[in-house]
Amino acid sequence: MDLYLAAEDLAFRDEMRRFLTEALDPELRRAERLNTSFLADPGYGLKWQAKLTEKGWAAPSWPSEHGGPGWTLTQRYIFDQECERAGEPHFRGASIKMIAPVLMRYGSPQQQAYYLPRILSGEHLWAQGYSEPGAGSDLASLKTKAVRDGDQYVVSGSKIWSTLAHYATHMFALVRTSDAGKKQQGITFLLIDLKAAGIEIKPILSIDGTHEFNQTFFDNVRVPVCDRIGEEGDGWEIAKYLLEFERGGAFAGGVLRALHYRLYRLAAEPGPDGRRALDDPLFVARFAEIGADIDANDMLELTAMSKVEGGGNPGSVASSTMKIERSRIRQAIAELAASVLGPDALRWEDRRPLHLLPEEPELVEERKVASALYINSRSQSIFGGSNEIQLEIIARTLLK
Amino acid sequence: MDLRYSEEQSILRETVARFLKAYYPFEHRRKRAASSEPLDQVMWKRFADLGWLGLPFEESAGGFGGGEVEIAILCEEMGRVAVLEPFVQAAVLAGGLIERLGTSSQCELLLAPLIAGRSLPVLAHLEDGARGLLDHVQTRAWPHEAGYVLTGSKVLVQAAPAADVLLVTALLEDEGQIGLFAVPANDEGVILSPYRTVDGGHAADIRLHSANVSKEMRLGATADVLGTLEWAYDRATAALCADAVGAMHSALDVTIAYTKERVQFGKPLASFQALQHRMAEMAVKCEEARASALLATLSVDAPKLLRVRGVSGAKAKIGRVSRTVAQEAIQLHGAMGISEEMPIGTWFKRLYAFENTFGSTADHIHRYAAAAMTPEILESNLLRVSEIA
Repeated sequence: MDLYLAAEDLAFRDEMRRFLTEALDPELRRAERLNTSFLADPGYGLKWQAKLTEKGWAAPSWPSEHGGPGWTLTQRYIFDQECERAGEPHFRGASIKMIAPVLMRYGSPQQQAYYLPRILSGEHLWAQGYSEPGAGSDLASLKTKAVRDGDQYVVSGSKIWSTLAHYATHMFALVRTSDAGKKQQGITFLLIDLKAAGIEIKPILSIDGTHEFNQTFFDNVRVPVCDRIGEEGDGWEIAKYLLEFERGGAFAGGVLRALHYRLYRLAAEPGPDGRRALDDPLFVARFAEIGADIDANDMLELTAMSKVEGGGNPGSVASSTMKIERSRIRQAIAELAASVLGPDALRWEDRRPLHLLPEEPELVEERKVASALYINSRSQSIFGGSNEIQLEIIARTLLK
Repeated sequence: MDLRYSEEQSILRETVARFLKAYYPFEHRRKRAASSEPLDQVMWKRFADLGWLGLPFEESAGGFGGGEVEIAILCEEMGRVAVLEPFVQAAVLAGGLIERLGTSSQCELLLAPLIAGRSLPVLAHLEDGARGLLDHVQTRAWPHEAGYVLTGSKVLVQAAPAADVLLVTALLEDEGQIGLFAVPANDEGVILSPYRTVDGGHAADIRLHSANVSKEMRLGATADVLGTLEWAYDRATAALCADAVGAMHSALDVTIAYTKERVQFGKPLASFQALQHRMAEMAVKCEEARASALLATLSVDAPKLLRVRGVSGAKAKIGRVSRTVAQEAIQLHGAMGISEEMPIGTWFKRLYAFENTFGSTADHIHRYAAAAMTPEILESNLLRVSEIA
């Protein structure tokens, strides 16, 4: 048992560092620093994805037969850590991390051949169509209907949250094809072209001032049967498989350390009142506690990775623990960063995206974004199965 | 990087767990805690016969060559059943110092009997006024005839009433540095004031009045005693973290068992969602604590900065989450949680003792902050590069 990097992994890490130093230009870094949302502005996200695609690294978790780099788990961990350390725009979302693994596992060869390369190239951008106004944590009670009509489905209803749907070309959606039996049984998984007639996408403004979420309305939208994944009624099984990936699966920990270090740099400089947060013992105690939390979470991630590499499974308690703790750590960092602002916390910049504002010194900009990041961070414990759902999952294992 | 337990390590865990289940049931533990005898000689001898007392030592020193992971496995299982015998104090902390600082003849004299279960050395270092600082030593040592004379006071020497050898730290005025001396506990210059500790253990405050030590019983005369002491405490702290993880899991297990059994409002407490989520939160903290403890274990032999990050980070983290788990365990037992009749109080008090042994949670968060709040550490994940090792 040990924590040492193998020589080839060290070489891999250094290769990534060299690449990131070069490829991640100041404009991309700044855009990400000033991004208040979970995912980057697609303009920057796609630009960054294109740079990664050139190297064959845009989809680190994909096997080589589908155009991925075919990396080991350790390499993927290192890639995540290094990208976060360098401050990359976060853009591996619904396309690369969610629908792609579903296509690989459940898609037909034709679906894989058509969709996967277009995800890599950035031609297609996917949005998630899971939640509905009446189906959040209780996802299986979803009502968006798909009625078979020849070789098409006719879809009516609405999906909510759908991050970046206003930029997306496609949506993967859970729809109801049957009301018979248990509510989980009548669910089907469809791929929907967002250019199809009858689709309307309305923005949902977040409390941090950003347009990130949407509600998507379907009014008799025609979807070819060949865009169904699996069979009718397989939707729930596929949805559960996908949620495993959304819950972060592995390799989502690098961002915690990166945000923590950002906070350190903010705290190391005197604010307008002349005080440095780093000189405040209350700040230091809280900052250090979060550091120990990050180390514990990193260790959980590495332990899970080791288990999977050995052919095992991290188990539901460990996976849900990581999801819960990651969200709490991000929220704790954002909260502590906002606390550094003092009365400046009251200043609100409502123009979005923030990176379009004239450039100012990095720390001035950090102070400008901290409140919005704090407010946005509240979503961390809600999406991907809220922390209460994670506790349900753990309780079910504990008390069985 | 590999964080899987080997086949041998898994077998060790099973063997230890099986033995403790058979020979250390809660009723036994309760009886032991009620007894005023500072050591269960029979049990201690069994530990020796099982090879546990020799586990931490190199084969060249007569031990069984277990590493930090093996020690942690043993300690976690001991924490599960709340073993009272002072394994960490004697075999890990005192024994580790002897092995690191002792000459081969000193090791033979002090370690061989420890490994065989015939001797029990403990470290007498802490003094009043230390404020969490390791280098606070006011006990003095003077050269005298063929050895040294020691005078001073030590406090909270855990397991001292069971010890036959005290490893005493004392300031050598002529050398201006701290020395380590193996003092027979029955020396006429050694006065013990024994008492019980909050978790059912035994400890003593010690006064040394011109206690005599032969020259041969000074350890590490030319070594960095203070540096080694810090390492030995870190190593013992990592072992104690594993013990705490075992205790936390037991606190959770007995709470789950109790709430499944206890019926109120016509159904088991465990069927109420409000309580289910609280137990799930306890499990989250147990998982985190286990991960932290493993990091501590794997940091014992790392370069100092990484060692402090791993060990003090874990001590602080586990201190914090174990307190919550222990408090919640009591709360979910309801009034029964306050009753001595229920086992839960045992783990509550063990975890309280954990938080206050080898430095408090606050001490360790300070130490972690001092070590880890540098750009180099803040920017690096836990994977290590051997060249900085």
